Amino acid sequence: MLDELELLKKDWQKREADLPKLSYEQIYPMTKKKSSSIVKWIFYISIIEFIFWAAINIIFSGPETMQELKDMHIYKVVMALNVINYAIIIYFIYKFYTNYRKISFTDSSKNLMRTILKVKRTVTQYVWFNLIIFTISAIIYAYGVLLYTPEGQELVQAAAQDGDSTEFWALIIVTSIAITTAVLFIIWLFYRLLYGILLKKLRKNYNDLKRLEV
Amino acid sequence: MNKELEHRFVTELEDNQNIVHKVCSLYTNDKDSHNDLFQEITIQLWKAYPKFRGDAKFSTWMYRVALNTAITLYRKSKKRVKTQDFDSVLYKIKATDYDDTEERQLKLMYDAIKQLGDIDKALVFLYLEDKDYSEIAETLGITEVNARVKMSRVKTKLRTILNP
Repeated sequence: MLDELELLKKDWQKREADLPKLSYEQIYPMTKKKSSSIVKWIFYISIIEFIFWAAINIIFSGPETMQELKDMHIYKVVMALNVINYAIIIYFIYKFYTNYRKISFTDSSKNLMRTILKVKRTVTQYVWFNLIIFTISAIIYAYGVLLYTPEGQELVQAAAQDGDSTEFWALIIVTSIAITTAVLFIIWLFYRLLYGILLKKLRKNYNDLKRLEV
Repeated sequence: MNKELEHRFVTELEDNQNIVHKVCSLYTNDKDSHNDLFQEITIQLWKAYPKFRGDAKFSTWMYRVALNTAITLYRKSKKRVKTQDFDSVLYKIKATDYDDTEERQLKLMYDAIKQLGDIDKALVFLYLEDKDYSEIAETLGITEVNARVKMSRVKTKLRTILNP
């Protein structure tokens, strides 16, 4: 085997003559082209995700006026949540940016792949964070609406008059959990597919190098 | 970007383009993909060029960027390499150059290498380019010991492909 590889090495070096030869004029325009590397893809997808989830958060925390929130007794909680939300979004954007800048093709292969996966992980964390905030907000709003708005109170009272308020609350909770789980599952599936397809090769290569350390 | 820098870059790449072509021929199976990869490597080289200080040789630095681009490039995963795809530019074996057995043996070897994973290919490539284990290790980001271990595994793998 060793001899065969040595033979191959000699042959390999002989073959240089058969390689294509590009001229200066052919190479020059290539420096103007846009990259289509995995890093570019991840960058664009990440930007879309940042905007999408920030928009979701803004849209859903928009319509209620402060007075309405105060009437529902959830003004302070919602405001606190908003502050935390924006602080963490800024943190994520910062982290994403610094990690993204660290991607360098002059790094060793292992480091390069590790940084790319790190950037992707930041974005995934951001998405999960948004989902959590979204779920918490939904719970707080549901609580406010049911307990403090006229429509909500009517509903609760109607349930109480029927004599089965435990069943009513149980139903509410079970439905909420079911809907939340379904939504989370669909989103999880979507990301699995998206990144699964995009990063399958990269992950495999990275693990190939990492496995050696064990 | 600086015109002079660009000129220097293109000239250096023109002089060293063999390295990129060799990487392309290992990692792709047809002319179009070969050219696409060449293009992408050029972009990555050019992007990194302003930071290239010249403390390493231009060619050494090229190996790294070229291999990294090939390893991390997003491609639709093609089905297994078919033998008839195998007539990429580099491997046109001229019958006159070799006696029959040697020719066939080499063809089989190249064929086997094409079937390896991205990292294994990188290892074989650097080996064929006569790089020592410390440089191979540094390029891939593993220790020298691990590079040796990995290489001996690749050899075993090649042997299995050659003699199934």
